[in-house]
Amino acid sequence: MSITWTRRRLAFGRFWASFRTQRAGVIGLAILLLAVLLAVIAPLFIDAGVTNVVSGTGEKLSPPSWDDPLGTDESGRSVLLMIWWGSRTSLLIGFLAALLSMVIGTVLGIAAGHFRGWIGAIVMRITDWFLVLPSLVTALVLAAILGGSTVTIIAAIGVTSWPSTARLIRAQTLAVEARPYIERSQALGGGHWHITTRHVLPNVAPLLLASTTLEVASAIVTESTLAFLGVSANKTSWGTMLRGSYDWGAATSGAWWYILVPGLCIVIVVMAFTLCGRALENVLNPRLRKAV
Amino acid sequence: MTISTPPAADAIAEEPARRGLLRYAVAKVGGALLSIAMVIVATFFAFRLLPGDPVRALAQGRNMTPEQLDLERRRLGLDKSLLEQFVQFVNQTVHFDLGTSYEYKRPVLDLIGERIGATLLLTGTALVMAVSLGIWQGARAGWKPGSRFDKFSTGVSLVLWSVPTFWLGLLLLMVFAAGIGPIPGIFPTRGIESVDAPDGFGYVLDVAKHMVLPCLTMVAVVYAQYLLVMRSSVLDEVGQDYVTTARAKGLKDDEIRRRHAVPNALLPTVTLVFMRIGFVVGGAVTVEAIFSWPGLGQLFYEAIRVPDFTLMQGTFLLITVSVILMNTLADVIYHVLDPRVRSA
Amino acid sequence: MRKWIGATAAMGMLALGGLAGPAAQAAEPSAPKVIRVGATQAMDSMNPFLAVRLVSSSIHRWMYGYLAVPDSKTLQPSPDLAESWTTSPDGLTWTFKIRSAKWSDGQPITAADAAWTFNKMITDDGAKTANGPAVENFASVTANGQDLTVKLKTPQASMLDNPVPIMPKHAWEKVGDIARYEANEYPAVTSGPYIAVEHKKDQYVKLKANPDYWRGAPKIDELQVIFYDNPAAAIVGLKKGDIDLIGRLAPPDFEALKGDENIVQWNTEGRRATYLQVNHGATTSDNKPIGDGHPALKDPKVRQALHYAIDKQKLVDQVQNGLAKPADGSIVPPMYKDFFWQAEGEKKVSFDVAKANKILDDAGYKKGADGIRTMPDGSRKLQFRFSIHTDAPIEEKLAEYLTGWFKELGITLTTKRLDSSKFTEETGTTALFDIAISGWSVNPDPEEVLATHLCSRRPTASGEGGGTESFYCDPQYEALYQQQLKELDRPKRADIIKKMEERLYTDAPVIALYYPNNLEGYRKDRIAKVTSIPEDKGMLYGGSGYWPFYTLEAVSKDGAAAEDDGSNTGVIVGIVAGVLILIGAGYFLTRRRKTVADDRE
Repeated sequence: MSITWTRRRLAFGRFWASFRTQRAGVIGLAILLLAVLLAVIAPLFIDAGVTNVVSGTGEKLSPPSWDDPLGTDESGRSVLLMIWWGSRTSLLIGFLAALLSMVIGTVLGIAAGHFRGWIGAIVMRITDWFLVLPSLVTALVLAAILGGSTVTIIAAIGVTSWPSTARLIRAQTLAVEARPYIERSQALGGGHWHITTRHVLPNVAPLLLASTTLEVASAIVTESTLAFLGVSANKTSWGTMLRGSYDWGAATSGAWWYILVPGLCIVIVVMAFTLCGRALENVLNPRLRKAV
Repeated sequence: MTISTPPAADAIAEEPARRGLLRYAVAKVGGALLSIAMVIVATFFAFRLLPGDPVRALAQGRNMTPEQLDLERRRLGLDKSLLEQFVQFVNQTVHFDLGTSYEYKRPVLDLIGERIGATLLLTGTALVMAVSLGIWQGARAGWKPGSRFDKFSTGVSLVLWSVPTFWLGLLLLMVFAAGIGPIPGIFPTRGIESVDAPDGFGYVLDVAKHMVLPCLTMVAVVYAQYLLVMRSSVLDEVGQDYVTTARAKGLKDDEIRRRHAVPNALLPTVTLVFMRIGFVVGGAVTVEAIFSWPGLGQLFYEAIRVPDFTLMQGTFLLITVSVILMNTLADVIYHVLDPRVRSA
Repeated sequence: MRKWIGATAAMGMLALGGLAGPAAQAAEPSAPKVIRVGATQAMDSMNPFLAVRLVSSSIHRWMYGYLAVPDSKTLQPSPDLAESWTTSPDGLTWTFKIRSAKWSDGQPITAADAAWTFNKMITDDGAKTANGPAVENFASVTANGQDLTVKLKTPQASMLDNPVPIMPKHAWEKVGDIARYEANEYPAVTSGPYIAVEHKKDQYVKLKANPDYWRGAPKIDELQVIFYDNPAAAIVGLKKGDIDLIGRLAPPDFEALKGDENIVQWNTEGRRATYLQVNHGATTSDNKPIGDGHPALKDPKVRQALHYAIDKQKLVDQVQNGLAKPADGSIVPPMYKDFFWQAEGEKKVSFDVAKANKILDDAGYKKGADGIRTMPDGSRKLQFRFSIHTDAPIEEKLAEYLTGWFKELGITLTTKRLDSSKFTEETGTTALFDIAISGWSVNPDPEEVLATHLCSRRPTASGEGGGTESFYCDPQYEALYQQQLKELDRPKRADIIKKMEERLYTDAPVIALYYPNNLEGYRKDRIAKVTSIPEDKGMLYGGSGYWPFYTLEAVSKDGAAAEDDGSNTGVIVGIVAGVLILIGAGYFLTRRRKTVADDRE
């Protein structure tokens, strides 16, 4: 066990050293750690009350000032506080949807790669089928059928975004299983479960991390798009804030802060996830390493 | 849909190359038919999951007598068993009968037919522009990774990729259609043509003017993925032996890139274009809603808002099936064009 | 592949180069007078038998004549296609004299046209889609020359408010299946001030003035209705001058028009009432309980207490940006002066949380340790659900205020969001709600909205909807309704109707919150004159009848000057953009040519 641990620590050390050279990735990581930290500690300072209209005390749609550094919305609520509280929903949906997509993608990807025969063929058929479905349109239909709630939004995004992960994992599984020690393990009586969890999974895990990071980014964008099109979890998120700014005529009243701030937050966080994910990919995928 | 660098080349290369083209095409078309069958089955059951009584959902609270409701129920075949309904649904669908929209009281297929042209024009133009832009920038960026051009173009595309389409569309609308400060609002705020559009060439210009903002929105958001794939494919080529050989032979760098590396790298990118066409179609929903573009996306958005489930179902079926067909076509064309496959 | 890229570049050039060309505006000296109306809803059908959207019925009102139209001053029914009418003493037979006028294709208008229209609706289910209920009470309709005789099943005072446009028999009887007919044949055959000449789906409808209109041709040449998906874009369109008038604005959009010197903000009393529907013990039409409403709401005292706990003025200020009138009445808004009833003195319920708490204390609803009241028998806490629509920002906001106020009463309110079909089902048929948001746009004759609170409108035992707005079933209300049906004397009938409103106010199956204002805007540099309906501070687009659009007058110098400015800037910027693209593409193409040359070596 200790040998494994040492080996893993060393591997991590190598990985970190190599990740640190990716400047954009490090910046992305810093931004997203900050965003997650802020979202996690938010309840220590504020509560859901900041999104309550009755408690909106400021002027309606007032521009940024000392009291409300990012201005107020149509009910006199502070945009800053709502952004802060809303980050929890946006990030939660982003993470959980990506997690769901990762789990489905990994299970099916490994299954398709490991069981070659007809099982693999069927799984690949299903994956390819999902891959071509227009994901936003499908997610909209799913959310419309199931009704809007945090769970259905997560499900709608997760269910439509896993196929690219599955393909990636399948390719990786095939590569791993081609290695001689897998054959040795099979000869020694290692079952499917043993091989997939002990040998394949640890080997695909790093790439999985990269792809999941990228998945979070797209899930956050999808959430905001769904919210804009009127399918939302009914909780304050950056997407619903943008929808609010649209509904309450912020653009035509010149309330630029109400439109720009949530949008920029989305762009920055999504960008951070993307940079981070690409840096991970560069580090982990030797084929691309030369790409800087 | 992530921006990860997809292993498009790997995925394709895995296909057994030695099969005959015909056999290949037959297999692909068979696969597509199977996919379409799966879409039809999935659509049927997904839309039967709807909570509540579909007839009443269709009625949207309009006053209906029990007789009217019964009539409607019979018309929709809801008095039959699920199996019979399914058979009927499949039968109608394969005969291109997508039902009647409750909101418009007209066949869904007619509604789609009236709007598909506008969507094809918008998405087609946007796609062609995005692909050209992506391929051009991606090829240059991949050839000299780490160069200023690479950093700049990749950076810009990634920022635009992170922008929600609808938000960008709204900003463009507010700046270039409404006009802010010194920027005049020169572009139209809505639609595909002016009400008093002139005829002939003037009409083409009028439509072009209306297309600028929606098109720009779509291109800005989607071109990054083509850029990145092209970049990584070119990057792959840079490491190939023939490039070294060509350099050793004294060929000019630019020439190697254009004559060898880019054409070789192009195929996986073009395949990706078709593989991700569904993504572009999805973008059309928001763009059309913002710019009041009279296309399929707007129809779909309307169906969701009402909600008009027959219309939603029909539009969804059509979009999905056409995306599957596009992909199959791309697969086969790829097979015909790929020099590696051909030579084998 | 190279060719392909070249072609792409060329296409891009074409697309962007399009900017360089100004949208040719033929600004001849005798330019036609055109007024453009914006709408944030597109036409659902040009066939009046099928169209249900508001924009469609407005456009149809501008195209077709009706039996009677609301008078532009009093809103009382006044002659339209029917010149005059008489009623039999039992109120069951109405005889209309149809005006001697012509359809826009020159054919004479006769009673046969009207008879055909109504009979079509009576006999063909497909023709009932839009206005079916309007002929439900018709026993028979016959024509003789210019005389139209309608026999009713029961007396109906609202007969003259009939919402059915009279269609030209000669043009429409050839239509096979009316339920599938799109009516996309232009120019349309009409009898009203305008003739539809073009309809592009989801884009616009063009209407030309009817030169032979029996009142005289409208003062403008063309009326265009332009559809927007995006309300913000419509506001921008009005500010830029793409459209000249827009109605049905949301309060924020209306406020965004402030400060533009060319735009008139038109803010008047509206025809809508917004109210709460309270599940006071819903029953089916055979008086069996249905649904899962909270038992406490069966107690009128609880409903009364809720009423006292609502600060209507605050709702108006916060939810409607002050652009509404707090409701001290019931479901008929104050713009209908004849029928509006307002609570006064003792009866008037005004915001008073202490009083609300006292009512509940006296009635035995005790507060528990957690501050939540329970039923007098202690069986259930007073926890209510509030049903609203998804994607409805105003309702969302309203829910949050109500939750706050009810909390002070010791009542928990949780918001339940439903899509519109589910909402209608749960609040109109299955009664799976406690309190729900509701509202109704009232016609000049309020009979339709009054009928939504009748016993007969409750769902049947098998759960078929009947169109109730409250599941209300009250003998007193029923009796008053029957009485007003038969009362053909307008002031007397109005008194009865006011009693009905009072009953709804005090018994509180519905609690009116406010009457939203009708918000519109138009450009005064384009529209010289427009008469609202009613003429004294009435509505434009939102009004019933065709008066505002029939009386429209355009500013004579036409808007051509302003548009030219826009195009010139467009030309300059377009040329610059085009040149840049050309340079880029040229660079690209020359390099390509070089390669070709290299190839030849």
